[in-house]
Amino acid sequence: MNRDVCVEYLKYLAFTDEQIEEFMPKFEYAIPVLGLTEQDLRFSMDEWLPQNFDMQYEGVKKLMGATLRETVDIAYTTEYKKQGVKIVYGILPAIQTNYTAIKEAGGDGVFVSFADHWLLCGLQYLFHKVDPCLEKAEEEGMTYGCRHCALNKTRIGGYRKGMMAAPDVIWAWGFNCDEGPKTDEYINMLYGEGEWPHVISRLPHDTHWGEKDDEMVDRIEFLAKELKDGQREIEEIIGIEVKPEHMQRAVANCQRRAFKAGSLVQLVCKSNPQVLGANALTMFCNIFALPMNAGLEYFEDAVDTMLREGRKAMKEGVGVIEKDAPKLGCYFVPYAVPWIDRIFRDNGVAMTFSTVLTPNKKMMQAPSFEEPFMATAEQWLRMPIGQNMRYEIDSMIDKAKSNNVDGMVMGFFDFDRWLGAHQKMCAKIIEKETGIPHFYMESDFWEDRDYSPQALKTRIESICQVIKMRLEQ
Amino acid sequence: MQNILKELEAGSLDRPKRLKAAKKEGKKIIEYIGNFVPEEMIYAAGAEPYLMCRGGEPEPPDAVLEYMLRFMNPYARSLAGYHMLGLDPVTPVADLIVAQQLDCHIGRISEVMEYMELPIYKVGVPPDWKKDYTFDYYHKALLKLKDKLEKETGNEITEDKLLEEVKASNAINERLRKIDALRENTECPIGGTDFIKLNHYSFFNDTEYMVEALDKLIEKLETEEPKFAKGTPRILFAGHIVAVGDYVVPRLIEENGGFIAADFLDEGIRWYNWDVPVEGDIIKNIAETKFLVKTPVTLFQPAWRERVDYVMKLVEEKKIDAVVWYQLAFDEIYDMECTILAKNLGEAGIPFLKLESSYEYSREAMGPLRTRIESFIEAVKEAK
Repeated sequence: MNRDVCVEYLKYLAFTDEQIEEFMPKFEYAIPVLGLTEQDLRFSMDEWLPQNFDMQYEGVKKLMGATLRETVDIAYTTEYKKQGVKIVYGILPAIQTNYTAIKEAGGDGVFVSFADHWLLCGLQYLFHKVDPCLEKAEEEGMTYGCRHCALNKTRIGGYRKGMMAAPDVIWAWGFNCDEGPKTDEYINMLYGEGEWPHVISRLPHDTHWGEKDDEMVDRIEFLAKELKDGQREIEEIIGIEVKPEHMQRAVANCQRRAFKAGSLVQLVCKSNPQVLGANALTMFCNIFALPMNAGLEYFEDAVDTMLREGRKAMKEGVGVIEKDAPKLGCYFVPYAVPWIDRIFRDNGVAMTFSTVLTPNKKMMQAPSFEEPFMATAEQWLRMPIGQNMRYEIDSMIDKAKSNNVDGMVMGFFDFDRWLGAHQKMCAKIIEKETGIPHFYMESDFWEDRDYSPQALKTRIESICQVIKMRLEQ
Repeated sequence: MQNILKELEAGSLDRPKRLKAAKKEGKKIIEYIGNFVPEEMIYAAGAEPYLMCRGGEPEPPDAVLEYMLRFMNPYARSLAGYHMLGLDPVTPVADLIVAQQLDCHIGRISEVMEYMELPIYKVGVPPDWKKDYTFDYYHKALLKLKDKLEKETGNEITEDKLLEEVKASNAINERLRKIDALRENTECPIGGTDFIKLNHYSFFNDTEYMVEALDKLIEKLETEEPKFAKGTPRILFAGHIVAVGDYVVPRLIEENGGFIAADFLDEGIRWYNWDVPVEGDIIKNIAETKFLVKTPVTLFQPAWRERVDYVMKLVEEKKIDAVVWYQLAFDEIYDMECTILAKNLGEAGIPFLKLESSYEYSREAMGPLRTRIESFIEAVKEAK
C-alpha cells in the first residue's frame, strides 16, 4: 500500500499531521487485515464519500475519521490480545452505559466495543465493502435465503476472516431480537466450545398494548437484575472491578452525549434549508448509544464541530438541499446504505431524523433512580425500541409532530423479526391517527446486495412525487 | 385402530362446536399459544382451553402481510391469518387468548392480534433459563396467569383441581409414551405421522375421553399388523413444529419408504416425556418441568449443546438411520440450529436432510419435495 495514499486519505478525514503520525502504524497494520486496497481508499475518497455524504463539513469528516479509528482498532484486537488486553464486545440493542463503565474501570487494559457494528460500518459506510464478510458467514451456514441479519453475519464472517479476535467475553443484550444473542452460541457450537465466551441478558416481550414499559417498576427491576448480573459475570471473567463511581460517570456521560445528539437533531430538523443529510445525522446520533474503544472522544469532537458548523450554516442560510424542500422522518435512516438518502435528495426531498435514535423527552430527563443499574434499565426502557408497539407508536407520533415532517418512511429492517416486523403496522396506525403520510419500503439497513439503487429508485421517486403533490394541494 | 383414530379426529374437528355450546352454558373459552402456557391451569379454572396451532395452508400466512413483515415464519403468521380470513371458528368467541412470549415471531403476531382488539394475555418466558431469577420470572408469570384466569372465569384454581388436571395430563403422557415405545420395533403398527396426529388430538379432545381412547388404541395396537416392514429406514423427525393440518412432509416420508421412529419438536406436540410431579407446590412443579427439567427449546440460551446431545441420544437409543430436519421458512433460529445439527450428525456419519416449508404445497412444489424425500430415503436404504 502506497503510504502517500494513506496520508491523503487520513487528511481527507480531517486527521491532523500529528494524528496521522500517531495513527499510521495501526492503520497500515489494519489495511490488509480488513482486506482493503489502495483502490478501496481511492474509491472511498474520490467517489463513495463525496457522492453520499456532506463532506464539505469538517464535522462529517471527523465523524468518518472516528469511525475509521474504531474499525482499525477492531482489526488490531489480535495484537491487543497478545499484549494481554482484555477484549469485551457488545451488540445492539445495548446502550453504551455499562460498556463505557467497564472501559472507565479498565482503561487501556481493556478493549470495549460493538465490534460487529463498527466493523460493518467501517467497511460499508466508508468503503462499501462488507460483502466478503457476509459471504463468509453464508458459506459457513448462515443461509442467504433465511434473511439473517448482516450484523450477526459480520460478527461471524469478521471473526472467521481474522478481522477481529475472539473476545475474552461478549455481552449480548438480547432485548429485541433472538438472533443477536443466539449468534454467540452459534459461533461457539460451530467453531469450538469455549472459543467465543459470552454472557447473555434477555428480556421477554410481554408487556401489553399501550402499557408504559419504563414506568413498570417490576420490569425495571428485572432488567436491572439482568444488567447487574451480566456485569458481575463480565467483571469475573476479565478480572476488572466496575465500581459505582464508574457506572455513575458512565450514566452522566451518556446523558451529556444524548443531549448533544438531541440538539443536533433539533438543529437539523429546524433548519431551512436543511443543513445536514440524514445518513450523517443518524450516524452522529450513535454517540449516545454505542460504545467505542478508540473513537468515542473523536466522535464527540465530531458532534461538537458539526453543531458549530450547522449553526453557522443555518445562520448563513446554506443547506444541503434547496429551501422549503419537503422533509421526511424515518424509523431508522439506513446509514450503512447511504445512497438511499442521496436518491431522496436527488428527488428534492430531504430525509431528516430517525425515530429510533432521536432521544425523546423522557430520555433527556434525569433518571428516576439513583441506583445506577436501575437508572440504566429505566434509560433503556425509555427508548422506543424497548417498548411494546403501541407505546412505541406514541413516541413516534410525538417525534413526527414535534419535528414537523411532511411524511415518514418506514422499512429497511426486513431481516429483523422484532424491529422490522411491526413497521408496516406502525405506518398504518400513525398515518390514521396523525394524517402524516407514511410510506413503507422493504429493504435492508446494513447492506445492499438484495436491494440495488435501480430496484429502489422507482419506489423513492414515487414517494417523493406523492409528498410534493400533497404539499401542492 | 383406524376407527379409533377417526373418532379422535372427529372429536378434534368437532371441538369448536362443543366450545360454542359450552360458551352458551356460561363456560369461558380460553385459547392459548405455546407449550409454556399450561393447559392444566385453564381446565382447573373451569374454562375450556383451545390450542392455537393450525397451519399447512398458504393463504392464512399471506393474509397478515398487510400488517406484518413477510419474513416471519408461516406458523406465527397463520395464528392471526386464519382469524383475518374468517376461517377461525374459535377466536371470535374466545374470552381470552394466552400467548407465551418467548420469540419475536409470536411476540409481534400477538401485537397484531392486540391491534385487532383480540383479548391477548401474555406470559413472559425469559430465554436465559439458567439463572435463578429468570426461573422466578416465569414462575411469577404463571402465578399472574392464575390470577388472570380466576378473574376471567370467576372460579378459584384450587390445589386439588390443578392436581387433578395435572394427573390427567400425565395420564395422557404416559399412554403416549407407551405408543412411542412401540416405535422401538420397526415392524410397528403405527407410524410417526399418526403419532403426531395423536398428540394433536390430545389437545382437542376432553382429557378423560382421550385417556380412554388411548387405552383402547394401545390394546388394539398389540394385535395390529405392522405398518412398516423390517429394514425400513428409521427416521428421527426434528424441528420446530408440525402444526395441526400440516402433515404433508411427515406423510411423504412414510409414504416413500421411511418410518418416523422418533420425533424432536418444540411445539405442536405434547412434551410427553416430561410429567409434572404431583407432590408439593403444583404451579411451581409445572414451572420447573417446563422451564428447567425438559430439554431446552431452541430459543433458550444456552440450548444447542444439550439439544445436540439429546438428538445423539435419540439416534443411539432409537437406532435411528437418518434425521430429517423440518423447518419453517424464515425461522431464523431453527435455521441456525440446523447448521449446527448437520455438522454434528455429519461428523457422526448420520445422514441428514433439511426440508423447509412455507406452507406452499402446490403441485409445482410437491414434485421436487417428493423427489428429494424419495431419493434421500433410497440413499439411506442403500447405505444400511
